[in-house]
Amino acid sequence: MQWFRVSRASMANAVQDFAATYTVRTWAFGWLGRIVAQVVFYTLVGRLIGAADQERYLLVGASVMAIVTEVMLTCASSTWERRAGTLPLLVAAPTSLLPVFAGRSVQWLVSSVATSSVSLFAIGPLFGVTWTVSRAVAAAVVLVVCAVGTYCMALALAALVLSVMELRNLVGNLATALTTAVCGAVVPVGFWPRWVQAVAVALPVTHGLRAVRALVAGPAYLAALRDSALALAVAAVWLAVADGLFRWLSERGRRDGSIEFADN
Amino acid sequence: MIENLRTALAGARFELRVLPRSPGDLMALVTAPVTTIVFLAITQHAGRHDLATYAVLGPALMALWSMALMVCGEMIDAERAGGTFEALVATPARPLPLLAGRIVVVVTVSLLSFAESWLVAALVFSIVVPVPHPGLFVAALLATVLAMAGWASIMASVFVLARSARIFQNSLSFPFYVLGGVMLPVSQLPDWLRPVTRLVFLSWSSDLLRDSLNSVGVRYAVPRIGLVLGFAVVGLLIGRVLLNAVLNRSRTAGTLAYA
Repeated sequence: MQWFRVSRASMANAVQDFAATYTVRTWAFGWLGRIVAQVVFYTLVGRLIGAADQERYLLVGASVMAIVTEVMLTCASSTWERRAGTLPLLVAAPTSLLPVFAGRSVQWLVSSVATSSVSLFAIGPLFGVTWTVSRAVAAAVVLVVCAVGTYCMALALAALVLSVMELRNLVGNLATALTTAVCGAVVPVGFWPRWVQAVAVALPVTHGLRAVRALVAGPAYLAALRDSALALAVAAVWLAVADGLFRWLSERGRRDGSIEFADN
Repeated sequence: MIENLRTALAGARFELRVLPRSPGDLMALVTAPVTTIVFLAITQHAGRHDLATYAVLGPALMALWSMALMVCGEMIDAERAGGTFEALVATPARPLPLLAGRIVVVVTVSLLSFAESWLVAALVFSIVVPVPHPGLFVAALLATVLAMAGWASIMASVFVLARSARIFQNSLSFPFYVLGGVMLPVSQLPDWLRPVTRLVFLSWSSDLLRDSLNSVGVRYAVPRIGLVLGFAVVGLLIGRVLLNAVLNRSRTAGTLAYA
């Protein structure tokens, strides 16, 4: 109950941050426009290859990757909390850091599911990715799963980045690029060597994306459910890792005095 | 003239010291190899080994644009945030050469991405991309650096002049990758979009660079390089006008330190 209360307060910060950055107009013409251009860009790579099925494959992959692109901004937005000088107070407070940071970047969850949905359900049909209402609803639910799963992973990275804040954008972008490469967004996971495939299994979006692709192909609700459950199971592991890393951050900070009010 | 050159060199020296200590500014160089792996994976998986050149050039051009957009675009604003812009303007040196010197360093450093992409292709995929027209390749690269520097000076001023434009900074990447034909040549884009692409210097640069890596003869190479250089001159001129507008407005409104 306490965790929920703390998270809710932190979510209020996230909403205010988002409102201070974007208006509806700048979000729609700026951010959404950028994501649509990103998805079209990858789809056009499929056109360059000269195969319509590649176009559709890349469109679906890029649409789901829009979630990863945005959710990985959690690495940066988590450091905003430390920059604001609140970390010592948070460490001193009688609660874990996890609910604070789990609420602090939820704006990306909502926004990313919206941009990804526009890409899949509005841009998709222009390139031959068609939907029935029931498949689209199921796919939208899977997108939420992808976002939540990636968010758990991003929280673990954010816990690491809080110690080296100058790397916040680099870590987020590198994680996005690596995920794009191996999770099945651009080529099937089987294309890669076995050790890379093992890494891909540890990414929640790998399973979520497979579920979306199953729904693109037909009414494979059971397969989508199974893959979504797998994505959530992997996400739970990441959340546990994030919790451990936040505890480590706080305990190490208490021990060596590296939790400070100043910017670093 | 000599004075301007000395100022530009001072700016370049400063940037050479700052850039290696700013890991966030070098992000494009870290992600470019991974992006190359992404594009090469796509082309190799599809059996289109003939498109390796595209997959190597694309990420490098993306890194070039991205570094100019993110690093050069924030140059003036960073000076203001750091409280040094006021002192900078008070010095007898002219700000444009100083800014130009810094921008040229950033854009030149971003060229490392071309080497990175080439090496990734060779080491990860055992694909050695030949350069059958090395002279043209180098000339096209130099013209591209100058054009990028010219247009980066516009970005640096625009993001200060129009605060709302800053919100769109993150959004100016992929639309320009499409319009600049960094992967898909603009000749393969829809007819209605092509006239717009021709207003983006990157579309001329990417076509030229791809042609220089193609074993067949390159047509109209000199005029095309001239055109990219023309974009550089236009960019620099507009950049100068905008920078003067920034200085005039800041002096008039008393916002040199921070708006």
